[in-house]
Amino acid sequence: MVETKNEPRIGVFLCHCGTNIAGSINIEEVKNYAKTLDGVVIADEYQYMCSTPGQSKIIDAINENNLNGVVVAACSPRLHEPTFRMATQEGGLNQFRFEMANIRDQNSWVHMHDLEGATEKAKDQVLIAVAKARMLEDLQPKSVPVEHAALVLGAGVGGMQAALDLANAGIKTYLVEKLPTIGGRMSQLDKTFPTLDCSQCILTPKMVDVGRHPLIELRTYTEVEKVEGYIGNFTITLRHKARGVLDPDQAAARAAATGILGTGCNGCGDCDAVCPVIKPNPFEMGMAPRKAIYIYHAQVMPLQYTIDFDACVKCGLCVDACGSEKNAIDLEAVDTFEEIKVGTCILAIGFDLIPIEEKREWGYKQYDNVITGLEFERLICASGPTVGHLIRPSDGKTPMKIGFVLCAGSRDNTGGVNKAYCSRFCCMYSLKHAHQIMEKIPGAVPYLFYMDIRSFGKMYEEFYYRIQNEGAKFIRGRVANILEDPITKNLIVNTEDTLLGRPVAMEMDMVVLAAAVQPKPEAEHIRQMFGVSKSQDGWLLEAHPKLNPCGTTTAGIYLAGVCQGPKDIPDTVAQAEGAASAASIPIHMGEVQLEPYFAMCMEDLCAGCGMCLNQCPYGALDLIEKNGRTVMEVTEAKCKGCGTCGGFCPGGAIKMQHFTSPQICAQIDAFLLKGGVN
Amino acid sequence: MAKVKEYGNAELEEKLRDTSYYTDDSNPQFLEDVKKISRTAANMCFQCGTCTGSCPSAPRSSYRIRLFMRKGVLGLEKEALNDPDLWLCTTCYSCTDRCPRDLAPTDVIMAMRNLAFKFDIVPRNFLKTVQLIYNSGHGVPNNDVNRAARVKLGLPADPPTTHSYPEFIPGIQKIMDFYKMKENADRILSEGEH
Ligand SMILES: Cc1cc2nc3c(=O)[nH]c(=O)nc-3n(C[C@H](O)[C@H](O)[C@H](O)COP(=O)(O)OP(=O)(O)OC[C@H]3O[C@@H](n4cnc5c(N)ncnc54)[C@H](O)[C@@H]3O)c2cc1C
Ligand code: SF4
Ligand code: SF4
Repeated sequence: MVETKNEPRIGVFLCHCGTNIAGSINIEEVKNYAKTLDGVVIADEYQYMCSTPGQSKIIDAINENNLNGVVVAACSPRLHEPTFRMATQEGGLNQFRFEMANIRDQNSWVHMHDLEGATEKAKDQVLIAVAKARMLEDLQPKSVPVEHAALVLGAGVGGMQAALDLANAGIKTYLVEKLPTIGGRMSQLDKTFPTLDCSQCILTPKMVDVGRHPLIELRTYTEVEKVEGYIGNFTITLRHKARGVLDPDQAAARAAATGILGTGCNGCGDCDAVCPVIKPNPFEMGMAPRKAIYIYHAQVMPLQYTIDFDACVKCGLCVDACGSEKNAIDLEAVDTFEEIKVGTCILAIGFDLIPIEEKREWGYKQYDNVITGLEFERLICASGPTVGHLIRPSDGKTPMKIGFVLCAGSRDNTGGVNKAYCSRFCCMYSLKHAHQIMEKIPGAVPYLFYMDIRSFGKMYEEFYYRIQNEGAKFIRGRVANILEDPITKNLIVNTEDTLLGRPVAMEMDMVVLAAAVQPKPEAEHIRQMFGVSKSQDGWLLEAHPKLNPCGTTTAGIYLAGVCQGPKDIPDTVAQAEGAASAASIPIHMGEVQLEPYFAMCMEDLCAGCGMCLNQCPYGALDLIEKNGRTVMEVTEAKCKGCGTCGGFCPGGAIKMQHFTSPQICAQIDAFLLKGGVN
Repeated sequence: MAKVKEYGNAELEEKLRDTSYYTDDSNPQFLEDVKKISRTAANMCFQCGTCTGSCPSAPRSSYRIRLFMRKGVLGLEKEALNDPDLWLCTTCYSCTDRCPRDLAPTDVIMAMRNLAFKFDIVPRNFLKTVQLIYNSGHGVPNNDVNRAARVKLGLPADPPTTHSYPEFIPGIQKIMDFYKMKENADRILSEGEH
């Protein structure tokens, strides 16, 4: 290590970022200004400071000028602070003797047309950064061990794939699903574009793999109650919702604990047959009934019944039908809680359709024969409520002319339920639906009302070609409104054929709305528990859209599937595999380094009053006896460096490392009083 | 600029006229003017057709609101302002209700009409309406058929408008004079008669 003397010796390095910064800030002027500041011994510039030559400038300057502090004025610390810290370290300094001034995101990008103003602001930013750099101290990052287990939340195709990858990499993985079965949306689909393989045929084997993997701890009908901790050491409280039916393992545990015998649920369905309560089955989009004791469909995993206690009348008929041998049903079941410890977490909680009935002009829920794409999937599916016969809800007749409304609520800036983004898979599934009706109903004609057909994936454009060749009709116009003939219940679709330049009013037997997708309503609560941001459009926010699409800004939390933004199955699986790989790295490394921004008790100043203990939101502070005095002690692994205690302590006895009061005061002084300007 | 070829035959020249769109056919200021007057981001139209599909005029005429949006975007000022279809909008605002880009095509049409008026491009019936309003306070004044119908329904023969309160007509005239509406309408109508 270079000997760091008390005298500040600072190097300032300005980045052009191509023209991102140099286009609106006079770099030369800022550089000359920096040279005049107290403690600055060298100021330099480069086109791309983050490149190898740029970093070499820092490393060489540290050695040649015996620097003890480095300031880079460039982009945001989120992007390149780690890069420049490494360069500082390579030059022989402690990596925390580095300070960054964000003259791009916070300056050149916002003041693009004000060269003079932006240049003045950049000078101030450099002045403030140098003020702090003069007072930086050596700090040591702290290593903590990582729990050798992971959590995957949501068991759609994304969550299942992530869990399988993690488990196959030797990591114990808790797969938590709020519904009674895994599978997600994909299990509701009939076929999948562009290959048209049967969705269940490719999904159920995966569901079985998940169910029997020795390293996957499956927790269905379970939600996350509480999240505590940080990367490597999350403690997560799970709520097992009262299911009222015991699986064989739970039955065995009951026998051991209470002596009550019974082999548990084997999925025979004897209970289902006798239950008198009938409810709509959400798996079938409400188009088929289920009982108060139910499974969603025949291929559920696990094959275990569930009681809907909101509907159950506790008549006890199911208990009798189940019988004393299995004795699987417990009508008095209550929610139970479980605490698990994991090193990393993947969120894969999927999506919903928007409430498309709020687009009144398209008539969903007003007209019988207007349905959504998901309802179409269930109606065309051989295991669906009509065993695969597409029928009109109004009269059970087979529709021959079927309209598909694309971008139904997507690409729409009018607010309300509408979404400004493209939902990304509806073009492709509407093409698939068109194929399915031409295949199943001889003579049936699909009409696709579209603005653009977005068939961007591998073999997708070819799929579009194929469906057009099979006879589907394409009308380029966004649907203005749909009217119903009250007698025939046929639908009149109004739009303009924009290629022909003529209004069209086409009578259809049935209309399928390719409704936009949106985040799950509970995504908001989930993201707050896990400390994940959301993007402007409401989906969970990745750490970087290009370079870190699976990570989040909270270390140890990763994203997979549609919860991060609309994507089809191939993209969901790809992202899930990426997230699993990223989530396995800290676990395989065995330890992670935490930034040493902890609170520190300056014991000679501490009066031991203990008033800070309740202030800390993370419970990181305790009072201890030391050398015959009561003083406060910080558990560094719990401290997040938020500064609440540091600002609060009446005796000024708490030091926030890397954000000390003298450092912050020096920055304020520099700005307001121009302290440090020669 | 359209390429002109001399065929020495007027009929042939019109038939084989170059109809390509050339960039210098565009007047970018036109789009800016339209945006300013209409107060809608007319440049953001993505030609989905919802407006024409919603338009009650479209199925019964050659009026295509979407095409006016297009001509606005491209700055095709002369084409837009000289098109008689510009005057077929009923201002029902159905398109404005439904445009997914949250634009107000109706207001674009109104802006274009404003601009057309500056070039004296206004259909005669609109100018006559101006004269009628000036003289009676009504675009469609009451008539005997209406009066009879009103009486039959138990209503006064004239509605409680300038028909019943002619003393308010001078106020209306004052407003119209300020904008030189009547003056211009009279002038354009009389010029057309030559
Ligand atoms: C009509 C339609 C047709 C489609 N057709 C195709 C196609 O042919 N080909 C194709 O590639 N793609 C298709 N897709 C897209 C496909 O459905 C998605 O890409 C895929 O389902 C995304 O998987 P996922 O795991 O991200 O989300 P999901 O399938 O939604 O799974 C999320 C899971 O998380 C669970 N969950 C949610 N919240 C919580 C919580 N708080 N706690 C615990 N668990 C939770 C949910 O219950 C669910 O099981 C279609 C989509 C639609 C709407
Ligand atoms: S995928 Fe196609 S139908 Fe869906 S929103 Fe995008 S462009 Fe519209
Ligand atoms: S509805 Fe709006 S976006 Fe669509 S063509 Fe008309 S003006 Fe353009």
